[in-house]
Amino acid sequence: MDKLKKEFGKIYDKYIEKIFRFVFLKVDSKEIAEDLTSETFLRTWKIFQNGNSKIKNISAFLYKTAQNLIVDYYREKSKKQIVSPEVFPFIADPRQNLEKKAILNSEIERIKKALSQLNEDYQNAIIWYYLDELPIQEVANLLERTVPATRVLISRAIKALREKLEKV
Amino acid sequence: MTTEREVIEKIKVLKQIKPEKNWVFLTKEKILGKELTFFPFLKPVFAGSLFILILFAISFTFLSESSFYLIKKIIKGEKAVFVSEEKESKLELELANKKLEELSKIAKTQNVEKLAPAISQTKESVAKATQNLVKSKKVNKEIVKKVLELENKKKEVEKILGTKITNGEVESPIKFVAQYLIEDLENRSLSEEQRKTLEKAKEYFENGDFTKVIELLLLINNN
Repeated sequence: MDKLKKEFGKIYDKYIEKIFRFVFLKVDSKEIAEDLTSETFLRTWKIFQNGNSKIKNISAFLYKTAQNLIVDYYREKSKKQIVSPEVFPFIADPRQNLEKKAILNSEIERIKKALSQLNEDYQNAIIWYYLDELPIQEVANLLERTVPATRVLISRAIKALREKLEKV
Repeated sequence: MTTEREVIEKIKVLKQIKPEKNWVFLTKEKILGKELTFFPFLKPVFAGSLFILILFAISFTFLSESSFYLIKKIIKGEKAVFVSEEKESKLELELANKKLEELSKIAKTQNVEKLAPAISQTKESVAKATQNLVKSKKVNKEIVKKVLELENKKKEVEKILGTKITNGEVESPIKFVAQYLIEDLENRSLSEEQRKTLEKAKEYFENGDFTKVIELLLLINNN
């Protein structure tokens, strides 16, 4: 059990920021993002400790679990995906001064808002390829598409985001 | 007109979104449990000794501004054997207050390595102070003051950490003191106005606002 805990501890450390960011970009608040991220890791851990052979690709498994939880969250709450007006008190680097932080927060809010107006595949393609820098093959696997089709999708997603950014 | 390259650069800004360090640490602890066995090859007796040594080293090096913190704690514990239960309650409350102050400092600096042992020691200290108080069943003005101080500090730390400091199984010291004061006043002859204040305090008690109960009842006591 200790070996499994140690192994999963490393997985947790490696993916916690990515999964939190992935969830946060799709929900209304930091608190909801924390709850869903925590549940993602808890569910994965339960399966992992009962024999991790069921999990072939841990990264894909975590993203899929998080995605399912987000879907469940909106289904249960019948909530529309809206962008929270809240500021981002948890943005790293405390050395930044308040003015810089405010500018950065406002820019993040703007991009988040534009991103949330795209369809789910476009959002995921952008997050996985450009933000989490996953290899194209892994993005293709997650999107359940071929690599060429994924490249086309990413290109279209960027164009769509550019258009949204000009409007927000 | 923004180019696609500029859009990609903008997306990278989102990398600044990061969860709070405290939350990351506490969530990991919740999922995987408190401690991992660092030396699984050691037999329990050796592991136990090693654990005590590590605990001593952590307390000695990190937990307090004073290097002699643990020694002071042991001395305090021994002293408490020879003092009255009332004084023991006061001592334990003072110790819990100090632990909360230290935990507050650690939480503000977001030092995750020091956080887990600090939370654990503070929980233990608050629980011990509460148990002593309940056991002694003696409440005086000084103890009320210490309990109110403890409650304020506890709320402050819980706000920073986003987690409860008290163990759910242990009664909170503020609840105990509020109940004690109500029961004490019920057995005394009170004026009409004082009786009304007591009834109001009981309502606050039912609603779980124990600080307000104590504030009201101290007014009766002072008048």
